[in-house]
Amino acid sequence: MSDPILSVRGLSSGYDPIKIFRNVDLTVAKGESIGIFGPNGHGKTTFLKTLSGLIDPWSGEIIFDGQRLNRPGERGSRKWRNFNYDAVTRRRMDPKQVARAGLIHVQQGNLLFPELTVAETLSISTTAARGRKGWSLAEVQSLFPRLVERNDHKIRFLSGGERQMVSVAAGLMSAPRLLILDEPTLGLSPKIRAELCAAILTVKETGLPIILIDQDVAFLEQIIDTLYLFDHGRISGRMSREEMPDHDGLMAILFGDQH
Amino acid sequence: MDPVTLFSIIKGGIVLGALYALMATGLSLVWTTLGIFNFAHGAFIALGAYVAWQFSATDAFGWPLALGIIATSLVMFAIGAFLHLTLVKPFERRSDVVLITVITTLAGSAILENVLLVIWGPRSKQIPKMAEGELAVGGFHLALSEIILLVLVLAILVGVGAFLRYSRPGRAMRAVSQNREAAQLLGLNVPMYFALVLGLSAVTAGLAGVFIGTIRFMNPAMGSEPLMKALIVVIFGGVARFSSPIYAAFIIGLLEAFSIYFVGLYWAPAVLFFTMIVVLLIKPEGLFGKYQRTL
Ligand SMILES: Nc1ncnc2c1ncn2[C@@H]1O[C@H](COP(=O)(O)OP(=O)(O)O)[C@@H](O)[C@H]1O
Ligand SMILES: [Mg+2]
Repeated sequence: MSDPILSVRGLSSGYDPIKIFRNVDLTVAKGESIGIFGPNGHGKTTFLKTLSGLIDPWSGEIIFDGQRLNRPGERGSRKWRNFNYDAVTRRRMDPKQVARAGLIHVQQGNLLFPELTVAETLSISTTAARGRKGWSLAEVQSLFPRLVERNDHKIRFLSGGERQMVSVAAGLMSAPRLLILDEPTLGLSPKIRAELCAAILTVKETGLPIILIDQDVAFLEQIIDTLYLFDHGRISGRMSREEMPDHDGLMAILFGDQH
Repeated sequence: MDPVTLFSIIKGGIVLGALYALMATGLSLVWTTLGIFNFAHGAFIALGAYVAWQFSATDAFGWPLALGIIATSLVMFAIGAFLHLTLVKPFERRSDVVLITVITTLAGSAILENVLLVIWGPRSKQIPKMAEGELAVGGFHLALSEIILLVLVLAILVGVGAFLRYSRPGRAMRAVSQNREAAQLLGLNVPMYFALVLGLSAVTAGLAGVFIGTIRFMNPAMGSEPLMKALIVVIFGGVARFSSPIYAAFIIGLLEAFSIYFVGLYWAPAVLFFTMIVVLLIKPEGLFGKYQRTL
């Protein structure tokens, strides 16, 4: 098989001083989509924020399409507690560089830009594309027809589902080579949720690899090729779509049978 | 009160208001975007005035004032961006950044004022008037330079507003101010936009300084009193939108002009502070403010 699009080795990070996840190894082959499943609060979102550089990695490496995204080496030990390390040390990873390389992260519950209109938001969403060809405005509008009527509305007046659609649309216009979706359907009404799931399936069918976190096993099964189980800040299991049990089966693997 | 006096008070208030609007806009731009209060803003005002004097005064370079103003804007932009890199950026990721930057920008302000003193000396200076002559109808007088000042300030404010609303970098600036993380994930260069905002804010402050320098005598500490007024304007008006400090500036300008007439120069600041406190008691987020700060 060809080189993977994303390869994560021994990655650890957290919110200083608490390490949230440790030693995560994960590989996404070209054209493959993966899912991450695990209980709430166990560090999935933190892991994704580290992939996109919002949080500095503490150790390990992130290699995207052969290019290393984080600077090598362990996070330095802080010898002098009162010293302002931020003034002299560079960040270990730069989120704008990650986005420009084509690793696009659509955040969980993204509030986006409350006072910008949908049109304004989408107009600045081509920044990361940098000459790569992303989805055009017309393409994302035909994927999410709802956004057309909401074009001149401020983001803060949108419903949660509509905001999620703008988030995904902005991500697609950023010309992703790997799209990260963090619980895109969380807390949505069944109708909006169905629309969004259908749209994400359409995106997957264009051949774009996706990293998807979702609690809905049936939806995961439609999108992904490989599932990683994430538990207490570690990867505790890996299985192909064919091996995936249903929701209860997954919970049994994660928590034992007695839950 | 006779109409001529009333006219001159209102005129004075509107000119003051225009200057305050220019200063407060820059201050609130930085506050809404970077989330810090820039106490070097007053020093920017003085710096702008001195730089413009250097370009335009007959006993210095003697360029035409219009050219001097453009050159001053460029210099101010560079200095604003530079001060961002030295006074603000190193502390950006700290949770106590607001407090730290109060100190660093105050320090920057003190250093700037002393640099002005060293370069240009303590003697008062004045920038040449923008134009001679006046319009007079009956007893009502309106100096040509005041008209030009009002038109220029209006043009600058409309220009900055349109830049933020319609241009791509302006929209990106607003995006950065509203959600730093989301902006980074779209590939926007957040540190660059921060430097841009401080540069832009320094330009508006510097231009306010130029206008003040054409009206009054300049000294290196000339920015501290206007900074105080700009602070009152920003707190009084709130920063819900780009325009809120602008309305507030004209209210404060007129209030100040009338206070000076009725209670005298020394009590006028007390009236302003009192009004601000009353407004804050009733509406803590400012007259036009909302709870969240955003551009
Ligand atoms: N900004 C933050 N600062 C400190 N701790 C946080 C922050 N965000 C999340 N956490 C903690 O990190 C842990 C993992 O959270 P998260 O990554 O959101 O989990 P998940 O996405 O799997 O539900 C939780 O215990 C949460 O309380
Ligand atoms: Mg999460």
